[in-house]
Amino acid sequence: MSAKSKSIQEKSKDERLRKVSKLKVLLNRPELGALGGSILVFIFFGIIAGDTGMFSAYGTINFLEVSANLGIIAVAAALLMIGGEFDLSVGSMIGFAGICIAIPAIYWGWPLWSSILFAFSMAVLVGYANGILVVRTGLPSFIVTLAMLFILRGATLALTRLITGRTQVPGLRVLIENDPIAWIFSADAFKGVFTWLGSLGLIALRQDGTPLATGIPASVIWWIGMTIFATWLLMKTRYGNWIFASGGDKLGARNVGVPVGRVKISLFIGTAVAATVYACVQVLDAGSADTMRGFLKELEAIVAAVVGGCLLTGGYGSAIGAAFGALIFGTVSMGIYYTDVDTDWFKVFLGAMMLIAVIFNNYIRRRVTENK
Amino acid sequence: MTNNLVEFNNISKFFGSVIALKDVTMHIKKGEIMCLLGDNGAGKSTLIKTLSGVHRPDEGEIIVDGQKTIFDSPRDALDMGIATVYQDLALVSLMSVTRNFFMGREPMKGFGPFKTFDVNKANSIASERMGQIGIDVRDPSQAVGTMSGGERQCLAISRAIYFGAKVLILDEPTSALGVHQASVVLKYIVKAAASGLGVILITHNVHHAYPVGNSFTILNRGKSMGTFDKKDLSREKLLGMMAGGEELDKLEVELKEIDRLSKN
Amino acid sequence: MRKIYLTILAFLSWAAMSVASFAIDVIVVSHGQANDPFWSVAKNGVDSACKDMKIKCKYTAPGTFDMVEMAKLIDNAVSQKPKGIVITLPDAAALGKSVKAAIAAGIPVVSMNSGSDDFAKLGISAHVGQTEFEAGVGGGQKMKAAGGKKALCVNHEVGNVALDRRCAGFKKGFGGSVEILGTSNDPTEIQKAVAAKLGGVDTILTLGAGLSGEAALKAIKSAGKTGSIKLGTFDMSPDMLKAAAAGEVEFLIDQQQYLQGYLPIAIFAQYMRWGTMPAGVVMTGPGFVTPKNASKVIKWAAQGYR
Repeated sequence: MSAKSKSIQEKSKDERLRKVSKLKVLLNRPELGALGGSILVFIFFGIIAGDTGMFSAYGTINFLEVSANLGIIAVAAALLMIGGEFDLSVGSMIGFAGICIAIPAIYWGWPLWSSILFAFSMAVLVGYANGILVVRTGLPSFIVTLAMLFILRGATLALTRLITGRTQVPGLRVLIENDPIAWIFSADAFKGVFTWLGSLGLIALRQDGTPLATGIPASVIWWIGMTIFATWLLMKTRYGNWIFASGGDKLGARNVGVPVGRVKISLFIGTAVAATVYACVQVLDAGSADTMRGFLKELEAIVAAVVGGCLLTGGYGSAIGAAFGALIFGTVSMGIYYTDVDTDWFKVFLGAMMLIAVIFNNYIRRRVTENK
Repeated sequence: MTNNLVEFNNISKFFGSVIALKDVTMHIKKGEIMCLLGDNGAGKSTLIKTLSGVHRPDEGEIIVDGQKTIFDSPRDALDMGIATVYQDLALVSLMSVTRNFFMGREPMKGFGPFKTFDVNKANSIASERMGQIGIDVRDPSQAVGTMSGGERQCLAISRAIYFGAKVLILDEPTSALGVHQASVVLKYIVKAAASGLGVILITHNVHHAYPVGNSFTILNRGKSMGTFDKKDLSREKLLGMMAGGEELDKLEVELKEIDRLSKN
Repeated sequence: MRKIYLTILAFLSWAAMSVASFAIDVIVVSHGQANDPFWSVAKNGVDSACKDMKIKCKYTAPGTFDMVEMAKLIDNAVSQKPKGIVITLPDAAALGKSVKAAIAAGIPVVSMNSGSDDFAKLGISAHVGQTEFEAGVGGGQKMKAAGGKKALCVNHEVGNVALDRRCAGFKKGFGGSVEILGTSNDPTEIQKAVAAKLGGVDTILTLGAGLSGEAALKAIKSAGKTGSIKLGTFDMSPDMLKAAAAGEVEFLIDQQQYLQGYLPIAIFAQYMRWGTMPAGVVMTGPGFVTPKNASKVIKWAAQGYR
């Protein structure tokens, strides 16, 4: 038996085995398109906006924050897309979570940390609702979460106006100082490093000698952390294999024992929780909540995931790719303000970039699966 | 007692007023390859779905290893060792060979909540098992989409066997394959049976079924026309018994008649 | 595939060469998009001033009324190290952090249009605009003098503190009963919302001419109530001006946003040369456009300067 298989291996080494170099393997990964796109975008803005301050410490942190915010929800959207579903209610969840944080803290006197926990528990409920509806009814998640988009946004608007009489809830900044949890969503990391760099004169200073860029924002830390976690989940755990299987062949996966329903429900909870992380970061940064926050963000998350190599039909993709997709998005949306180009062209660029990325990813994917 | 792995006795299945199956009986022994033949619409897929737990039989009983059994779900049938390989194979072409092989039953290492998918172990098992069939998987982390149709069939069958199938139900395994690939798959099926499995091979292709089958059950319009040992059956007789054999003969006669008339 | 790569590369190089930017003197971060008829006049003021003062300016605005995005734009502007930043201040709480960061970085800030009550405590050097409350009071008094008893104040951007104050000032100056109607900024929705309320009022004040003013005028006309319901509006638009010239509108409160765009640039140009900076509020309004002077203003508005 084993002698036979050994001889087969030797024979095939002669006729069919090409030296598959590490580079070739890398080129076949789903993240390639997004990585290439990121490099291109940086070169582009490096050329046309290199001396405008876009890449100064302060400017870089500025566009990284936008990337990080999008990256947080893009990573969760990517996992869900690999699992074969969409969540269009993410944007509304951002607005809803923001209100869940702000109203109890400002109007009912709750400590900030408890309203943050409250917002997260609402996220689990909403995600579960999305998941159970999709799994039980068999309806396309597109429809179910679209309905949830309206329900959540309407509820956010109606409840906020009912309780507060207006559509914004300001006044949160003072509550952050002494709160035990809030700092993980709002504090800057590596403050010491930046102060040191400032003292060396390597980065721009304010008039009082402190550096303009105070540290790495919490949103960036969350973004990187969530991407690492999602990648580990996808590649190194059995749950990750289940995600690929559920998206690749729902029925077949169920037939071999993959708990497809449970996997999908947990993925929907994942997107709702990611939306709440986004809301925490944004509410604590702006010091206020607004019923219209997060509008259309779910589409941006899907764009980032698709640019990052995720197949719309599921079963293929990468969390790192989505992170790069978010990086591209953030860099361009902020970078365009450093040029003389009218910012309306940003939307044209966005659509063109998405098209190019999808065509490129399609090409890569065909090479991967049709290598006969 | 009996050396039947599985007995399906007097199985009937109705869908509303439609009689899909009526009184079908089939026994599978260890090491036996039973070919289930019949034209399209004969009831083959209904029978298979009933055998694998997708449908509950309306009449009749299923006996596994001497025990009367009812399957509540395909999972039940799987747990009792009855594995079905459907035509779509339940393989995700974008996923690697290894991930497909261990889908749903991934080997783990580590402990507690930090258990990870033991990719290295899975890779080596997958290539070893495929090597045993005679398929050299050059890189088990390559996507299944890079394999030929015949190789994919073998992967699906190998997976079922690895996870403890006692009875293998194969739904049209060679229908989409070319001659060479079909023979690779058929050889594997023979090997599997020789190692003690019972195999139910569903096909409408007599030329694939006849060489490998030990016994043949023919379905015609929901009813079984009987189970025949190979020694009692010739290839032509088999063809004739399947729906279409008689009609083709009639057609031949009519064509001869038309030809004769036109020559006059 | 190679052809596609080359095309992309060519496009990028062309784009890069055509948009290489130079050092900016003044960056304007406004909450008003340049396609809004009101803000295009302000932008014209900015552009004229830049040309007249011979300095380099840039006008930026977020895509929608989003304070979070606007704060980001201010941060963006700071990283480009301009000589000065001009902002509008529709929400001091949300924008305060970014404004203070700009000032701490040594970049002087002048505000325009909105934020007359809040600019000083943020460290902003001067404010160019019309104080909303007082302008509202003026409008209310005019309507009271015209005989109004029950009024509707249409607010199309609830949350914009300046607009909220206009209605508040109007209420004070008017004296009679005033209902505040909050709407979206969709003209059709505004028209429907106003039409639903026509039965109970004899006076309507809108806070934006092109958007809510025209919508309210349409609602009044469709109901055939021109003349029986007096309409006044903040700001101006070509159609509202025509209506004023025809006597269908009592008055338009012109905050003269052209000056709001022009003056801050002029202020910074002089600051760059001689270090001069006005203190406090430079009032650009209220200027009242009535049926008496409407036709002249119409001519200038068509050119984009009123």
